[in-house]
Amino acid sequence: MRNKYVFGGFIIVLFLGFMAYLFTQSNIKYENDFAKVKSQDKIVKATGSWVKEKSYEIDSQNRLFSFYMVDNKGNQMKVLFNGTMPNNFESAKSVVVTGEYKDGCFRASNILTKCPSKYEGQNVENMKTSNL
Amino acid sequence: MSSKAYALYKKDLNSELRTRYAVNSLVMFIIVAISVILFSIGNEKITQSLTSGLFWVVIFFSAMSGLSRAFVAEEERGTSLTLHLIASPSTVFSGKLIFNLILVFCMNTIVAVLFSILFEAFIIRNFALFAVAFVFGNIGLAVASTIIAAIISKAGAKGTLYPVLSFPILLPLILTCVQLTLLSNQGADFEAAKFELAIVFCYDVIMLTGSYMLFDFVWKD
Repeated sequence: MRNKYVFGGFIIVLFLGFMAYLFTQSNIKYENDFAKVKSQDKIVKATGSWVKEKSYEIDSQNRLFSFYMVDNKGNQMKVLFNGTMPNNFESAKSVVVTGEYKDGCFRASNILTKCPSKYEGQNVENMKTSNL
Repeated sequence: MSSKAYALYKKDLNSELRTRYAVNSLVMFIIVAISVILFSIGNEKITQSLTSGLFWVVIFFSAMSGLSRAFVAEEERGTSLTLHLIASPSTVFSGKLIFNLILVFCMNTIVAVLFSILFEAFIIRNFALFAVAFVFGNIGLAVASTIIAAIISKAGAKGTLYPVLSFPILLPLILTCVQLTLLSNQGADFEAAKFELAIVFCYDVIMLTGSYMLFDFVWKD
């Protein structure tokens, strides 16, 4: 009788651990290497920054917004987003796009922009002069 | 043991056919819920992720309305003492589980058929994946709802306690099944859904062993 609970408890703990591991695996992962983004065909969160030299395009007919992104190794890719441009896109420091790479461009379902903070530290000399 | 469990299932089936309590409440709930969703959508085009979410919302709440009766009926009719005498706890649980499994499978097949007829966005592109997810999801739902029904049968406010208790227990299952339904609607292959399938399988194993272990204590007053 006692054995039954030990054995059952063992099975539960084992599978619970396995399930917890699987839960961390199945979530969408961040990826900052576009070479990897291009080679795999699953949904990822690609992080990089907007290429300002290749300006963005807005196709209001098809509600398409497209721009080029670059990662820290210099790989570029075109991003297509079905929707409007996010408000603070132009001032964004870095961009996170969720979606997958298909037919030569990244189809994003969501765009997150990271903006420079208003409250960045000033050095002490500047503060003194600005106060005076 | 298995013949006794089968006899218990036959008894439940006969009393269900006589009163049709669970079947009626399930069918009513499914019809009402789906028509409310249809009216509220109107001409709006809804996405695949929304329909697969709604699919499991309907299943969750219809399970809440129909499956809670398994042990409550025994308590109300005062027949639980007889069951104590004639069968061991695991036999009683097996009998109830078989009955709930069949009920859940019938109910969810109806919901799936209605959804694929009535919702344009609910098109199952990978049928094998959907079937596997459906079977595992249903087993998990039946096991969890049977053990929760046993727990609440002794409590006072049965109607409200049931959904409240089952929500945290069923949440991982429902979330994963929503993801799986979405994947099968998008036509993804098994490779893309392997983690979700493994999660649902683990959930089933955990619930089965856990409920067979716990039922001894729940049943022994």
